[in-house]
Amino acid sequence: MKKSKTKGIIQFILLFLSVFTFFVMGSSNNSASAADNSLQKVKQRGELIMATSPDYPPYEFQSSGANGQNEIVGMDIEVAKKIAKDLHVKLVIKSMNFDSVLVAVETGKADMAIGGINPTPARRQSVDFSKIYYTGGQSFLINASDVNKIKSQKNLAGQNVGVQTGTLQYNLAKQYIPNVTIKGMDKTTDLVLALKTHKVDAVGMEKPSAEAYVKNDPSVKMIPSTYKLTQNETGVAIAFKKGATSLTNAANKSITEIQKKNLTQQYLASAGKYMKVNTVNTSMWHYWDYFAKGVEYTLLISLISSLVGVLLGMFLALMRFSKLKWVRAISISYTEFVRGTPLMVQVMFVYFGIGVVVNLPALLSGIIAVSLNSGAYVSEIIRGGINSVEKGQTEAAASLGLSETDLMRFVVLPQAFKNIWPALGNEFIALIKESSIVSIIGVTDLIYQLNIVRADTYRGVMPIFVAMLLYFFMTFILTRILNHYEGKMKHADSE
Amino acid sequence: MQTQNKNDDIIQIKGLGKNFGDKVILKDINGEVKSGQVICIIGPSGAGKSTFLRCLNMLEKPTSGSVIFDGTDLTKLSDKQLVEVREKMGMVFQSFNLFPNMTVRKNLKLAPIRVKHMSDEEADKVATHLLDRVGLSDFADVYPDSLSGGQKQRVAIARALAMNPEVMLFDEPTSALDPEMVGEVLGVMQELANEGMTMVVVTHEMGFAKQVANQVWFMADSAILEKDTPDEIFSNPKNPRTKDFIGKIIEAK
Repeated sequence: MKKSKTKGIIQFILLFLSVFTFFVMGSSNNSASAADNSLQKVKQRGELIMATSPDYPPYEFQSSGANGQNEIVGMDIEVAKKIAKDLHVKLVIKSMNFDSVLVAVETGKADMAIGGINPTPARRQSVDFSKIYYTGGQSFLINASDVNKIKSQKNLAGQNVGVQTGTLQYNLAKQYIPNVTIKGMDKTTDLVLALKTHKVDAVGMEKPSAEAYVKNDPSVKMIPSTYKLTQNETGVAIAFKKGATSLTNAANKSITEIQKKNLTQQYLASAGKYMKVNTVNTSMWHYWDYFAKGVEYTLLISLISSLVGVLLGMFLALMRFSKLKWVRAISISYTEFVRGTPLMVQVMFVYFGIGVVVNLPALLSGIIAVSLNSGAYVSEIIRGGINSVEKGQTEAAASLGLSETDLMRFVVLPQAFKNIWPALGNEFIALIKESSIVSIIGVTDLIYQLNIVRADTYRGVMPIFVAMLLYFFMTFILTRILNHYEGKMKHADSE
Repeated sequence: MQTQNKNDDIIQIKGLGKNFGDKVILKDINGEVKSGQVICIIGPSGAGKSTFLRCLNMLEKPTSGSVIFDGTDLTKLSDKQLVEVREKMGMVFQSFNLFPNMTVRKNLKLAPIRVKHMSDEEADKVATHLLDRVGLSDFADVYPDSLSGGQKQRVAIARALAMNPEVMLFDEPTSALDPEMVGEVLGVMQELANEGMTMVVVTHEMGFAKQVANQVWFMADSAILEKDTPDEIFSNPKNPRTKDFIGKIIEAK
């Protein structure tokens, strides 16, 4: 009896998965085989959407600018603006982790990805590239105190080298430096911090980036790399969705013009100006509006997700008590599946996966993913709460002729909620912290804002400390509120 | 005993059986409860008395046999139809089972409002009247946790009466009480019986059974072994198991 039940659930989960897979595979095939109307689509929309990871000065970075406006600036942005201008459309910038920018192009979230991307053969398999618009070259950032120890790339043999994950630098370092220990991180800012705290001996990055850091921070120095590289590995290009030939060609036209007039030099110079502005005031107070926006989004996501999570959780928990086997099976499968996969993957799945079918904005995707995730956990908490209510209560209610619904609503659930309040509170607090994962798809929550401030100020630790305090204040206040209500509920019984 | 007119029977039990897995709890139980009768069910622990009582309003689903209430076979009803029947059978539990998340008044009002669709004022009137009847008018707005066991059980009786039931089922209503509180609960039950309420009471209170019951059913080993008037059962038991049980009680006294 028990065995066949488990088997049934496994079958159900498998069915669930195969439907999912079919749905996603099917839809991505469709879009790949569609005729190339990429240029036409952009023109009709009047917007050219680009994905980028603005933590890579001078290519692209967030700037508070001279007039206090927050904007993404840099050489790449100028290139993109030029292309948009030539197409007579508006440029829309979507920012996200570097890991995600190519995925955004593949799944149609953005028309193009631009961000110091080297058009390597491996990348060419999944996206199309424009002509190379800039050739930077590879170099290393080292601590100024190490200039006598590390004179060239040779000295890095056997050392720790930090590189951004998913980048060419990562592969190059691994391939060409003997006995090297690679430390991969998501953010260039984290890498520089690791360098300054001597967690790594050098950081591999594009030459212009390294130059930007050296200009802004006297404690780091730059050495050139001696990698033997092809054009594809030193140059940077713009990524487009496979088959978007008309759009790629249009971009190439603009790039030809950029190269003819040597515009990139001009772009780099103006990017450098922004960077100088940034370093004038790196006090955290100067960035309070960044943090405020981060707190606002973190609270917004947590609040909506906990409300939806509780409703969904209650629904799923009640499904577990249904008399129908298939209703129970759906609830069990859902809970097991969601609890068995990381939130990070779910966030990416909703944004990129579901995004193939319905184009959801990042914030909405984040809220949906976090809500769906929370619902699974809350349903288990509520199920425990319902089970904790004595059987006598249900029997007494049934003997009075109360319907199943009334019995739940007036007798069981109020008591269950009182019992699970502390556990539920825990879930809310966890939600505030876990919602930080949505920063990977570019939702401007506190973590995302924190990274921008770090990139902007070249200060590694202080913004982390500020964010830590802000998270603590949020959870601390929430804990007080929850305790207040817990006390009230206890009071109600013994009044 | 004369043969009874069938219409007098408010509950008829026919060949009732109940198993939990392989374990036999009840076997071939038969009996009739007439309108206005008080039936006391006595017997040693583990005889199946409580299970039998809970089979009468289908809190336990019988494995075999039938329970006919007001001419309807309850074992044939769907869960939804059962809900309608249950409001006519009040039940009082050993462990009170008051709703701790509501005041005493709300405990009484919930079912009349939700099931009988009474207005709030009507339900309030019913609650006030019944609390007065069980002597707890002063406790209407407190939560059950602050009441003594005896008070809780009186509230539970009032709560069941608020639905104006045709039959009241009592499952060892005094077993969880401190001895000094047994009297107040039995007092309320005695009054109910005097007013003509049909009652089926599982109890260890032999004094109550002797005084109030019209019939005493002796249960042991999953079956009813003897049914008779209290006088006969207590002074002239016929079944050896009954004799043994009554003998032990008298010894204990």
